[in-house]
Amino acid sequence: MPVDNTILKKILARVQKPARYLGNEWNACMKDHDRTSLSMAFAFPDLYEVGMSNQGLKILYESVNSRPEMLMERVFAPAADMEDLMREKGLPLFTLESHEPLARFDVIGFSLQYELSYTNVLNMLDLAGIELYSDKRSDIDPLIIGGGSCSFNPEPLASFFDLFVLGEAEEFLPELLAEIVALKNEKTERKELLARLSSLEGVYVPSLYRPIYRDNLLIDMEKLDSRARDVIKKKFVSDLDHAPYPTAPVVPYIEAVHDRAVIELFRGCARGCRFCQAGYIFRPVRRRSSENIVETVEKLIANTGYDEISLSSLSSTDYPGLDALISTMDNSLSADRVRCSLPSLRLDSYSVKLADQVHHGRRSSLTFAPEAATERLRRVIKKNISEEEIFTALGDAVKAGWHGFKLYFMIGLPTEENEDVEAILNLCRRIRQYFKKETSKSLNISVSVSTFVPKAHTPFQWEPQLDLQKVIERQQLLRRGFRNMPGFDYSWHEAEASFLEAVFARGDRSLAPLLERAWQLGCRFDGWSEHFSFNRWQKAFQDIGIDPGHYAYRRFNYEDCLPWDHLDCGAGKDILIREHRDALSGGLPEGAVNGTHTF
Amino acid sequence: MERIRFSFARKMPLAYISHLDTMRLFLRALRRSGLPLAYSQGYNPHPRLTLALPLPLGVTASGELGEIIFAETVGPGKFVKSLSPQLPESLELTGASVVSYELPSLAAKVCAARYRIFAINGFDRESRQALLQQALDSLMAKEEIILERINKKKKRTCINIRPFIYEAAFLSEENKPLELNMLLKAGSSGGVSPFLVVEQLGTDTGSDLFKVENWHFHREKLYGEKKGKLQALSEGM
Repeated sequence: MPVDNTILKKILARVQKPARYLGNEWNACMKDHDRTSLSMAFAFPDLYEVGMSNQGLKILYESVNSRPEMLMERVFAPAADMEDLMREKGLPLFTLESHEPLARFDVIGFSLQYELSYTNVLNMLDLAGIELYSDKRSDIDPLIIGGGSCSFNPEPLASFFDLFVLGEAEEFLPELLAEIVALKNEKTERKELLARLSSLEGVYVPSLYRPIYRDNLLIDMEKLDSRARDVIKKKFVSDLDHAPYPTAPVVPYIEAVHDRAVIELFRGCARGCRFCQAGYIFRPVRRRSSENIVETVEKLIANTGYDEISLSSLSSTDYPGLDALISTMDNSLSADRVRCSLPSLRLDSYSVKLADQVHHGRRSSLTFAPEAATERLRRVIKKNISEEEIFTALGDAVKAGWHGFKLYFMIGLPTEENEDVEAILNLCRRIRQYFKKETSKSLNISVSVSTFVPKAHTPFQWEPQLDLQKVIERQQLLRRGFRNMPGFDYSWHEAEASFLEAVFARGDRSLAPLLERAWQLGCRFDGWSEHFSFNRWQKAFQDIGIDPGHYAYRRFNYEDCLPWDHLDCGAGKDILIREHRDALSGGLPEGAVNGTHTF
Repeated sequence: MERIRFSFARKMPLAYISHLDTMRLFLRALRRSGLPLAYSQGYNPHPRLTLALPLPLGVTASGELGEIIFAETVGPGKFVKSLSPQLPESLELTGASVVSYELPSLAAKVCAARYRIFAINGFDRESRQALLQQALDSLMAKEEIILERINKKKKRTCINIRPFIYEAAFLSEENKPLELNMLLKAGSSGGVSPFLVVEQLGTDTGSDLFKVENWHFHREKLYGEKKGKLQALSEGM
């Protein structure tokens, strides 16, 4: 039975952007619950506009709904005004398609994309009327499963979830769901069901592992059931051309953050930047064929009516022959007035040429991410571009008519000193001087600086985060510097939010009560600066008696047991140790400074 | 080139999207339909679609008008046949007609709109009739109703909305929801939102009955002016 429509109508009349909760969009999949043997709700712990920009959601929606015997519906985190009214009127959290309460589904799958959405996960479970802790749930409750990049260290969430799927799920998820149906048909009780699922590759059932601590430090994970695996290997798709991909994705009524069609050129990244978790967990590099791309783009445009197609990947200009591919598509795309966009550009001349090719005279702004301003520090993080290349690429861009640039940097990187931070100011100053000579137009440069967060399964996983006070000092150094530099638009990430991100990125199961406490104190949408309250979090740390610095600032040794050691993303510890040692010894091996397109 | 005017209805639940969302929805549906859109000239060419009067969020409608220019001859029949299947159920094309380039733009033509405003539920007809009548009488008897507005330059200005309320009456029929019926000035030369008028009824009487959330707003018809008289607009005009 769907939730009460009269109550829903009254609520919708009173909230901001009611279309967030409507469903029924173009290409939404409406299936009969009585005619499918399994129902899954895909839960995205952020606003509709954010979740509907997530390509993983669209891929899995396609992968499950293309099976006639199962259905997947969507649910997003309700905004504060909606949450208040739902609680006031006693309306449980429901899915967009059928308006069925979440608690009636067989499986609820949370997409875990960033640590600061964890309180929203708890809030959504609570709004659905489902017990937060997995050991309190019974046979009739939905299975709560998680996936996405945060499931590569899911330990802070382990007590709330029944299982995690590690890696890429578009091929595996329907198999897993079919297995669940079979086990349910045999009336397998929950504990046994989870134990049986734990024998599948890629499945992590946290209740079957027990952390062992000594002096407050994790020293081992003890396996409690012989069927569970010693090490859980991630699932990955071997051939993108034959994996499920949505050619008729749901088209939102309201504007999503990324409001365009998306074609994934390749998965994985050969660059190997040492801070980048995506670069490690999405290995190896797998290309979609250009024939498949052309064909898929055609269908996407015909089925959605979008006027923009994003050529997406972690580093799109690394796609071999991208210039030729764009030329091939250009005729039909121009005829349909479809724009191409390249989301991630490298700072080199080839990328600028490509940007020029797709933009057809539109000169908005170009985005580049040097990440660090000194060549030494760029070598440490393996962002191997030279200063000469930066200036050549920017020079090409200015000559081609661009005069707006976005530059991304990070502070708090391993081995960083104040000089490296001052170098950001220095580099920006020199960029301006350089262009004074090159162009008469005034340049518009925005500089965005984030704080480094050490992530699991990267060579920097052993590194501590820079002390919060020091982060704030370095941010102030930049703020003062940019204040005296007109023409730059400087923005930075809240230091406290990055600190919290590090706590959860490196945390273990002892954080569960903290997360619950923070949620009880009202923490929601922590990734949104207008909602984030560090005071509330500090109160939660005090109440539970947890020192967050213990997680964010701890320097792990190579011999230490890491909370994610039993999870295998493919890049072995030996590789990570080698990369970490290379980083600290000053950068790259000889001859590797000029990065080649290795595929 | 061909200029086509069309009329459409917007029902629940699509009333919950904004004017810009409605525009975007029409554009994407048009692109999917494969009809030969004409594009504007210039730096950032866009399809030449206009809707006569923005439809506020939450409001359903039956007599809305829009206009689109095609690069080739399409004809009203093919237009409806190609576009309709690309529209969601709650957005329905109700008519189309080719019009001459000589006609002024739709937006310039609209100068009034009729709203039917229904009590959602929970209002006892008998006891409310007197209150409604009194509120409407007192509203219409006023010579001016001054409201503060923030103008485009973000300055406060005062505006008298009384002249914008052409008609306001209530209808009460057996077995039908209580209804307010209003003809209000609208369009590019100024106007008043039906929400404001209903709230205004509440400030006069102090009754909860006039909270906007207790009413469903429906825009029935758009009006133009001919020889000093209001005239209901249709897609052929």
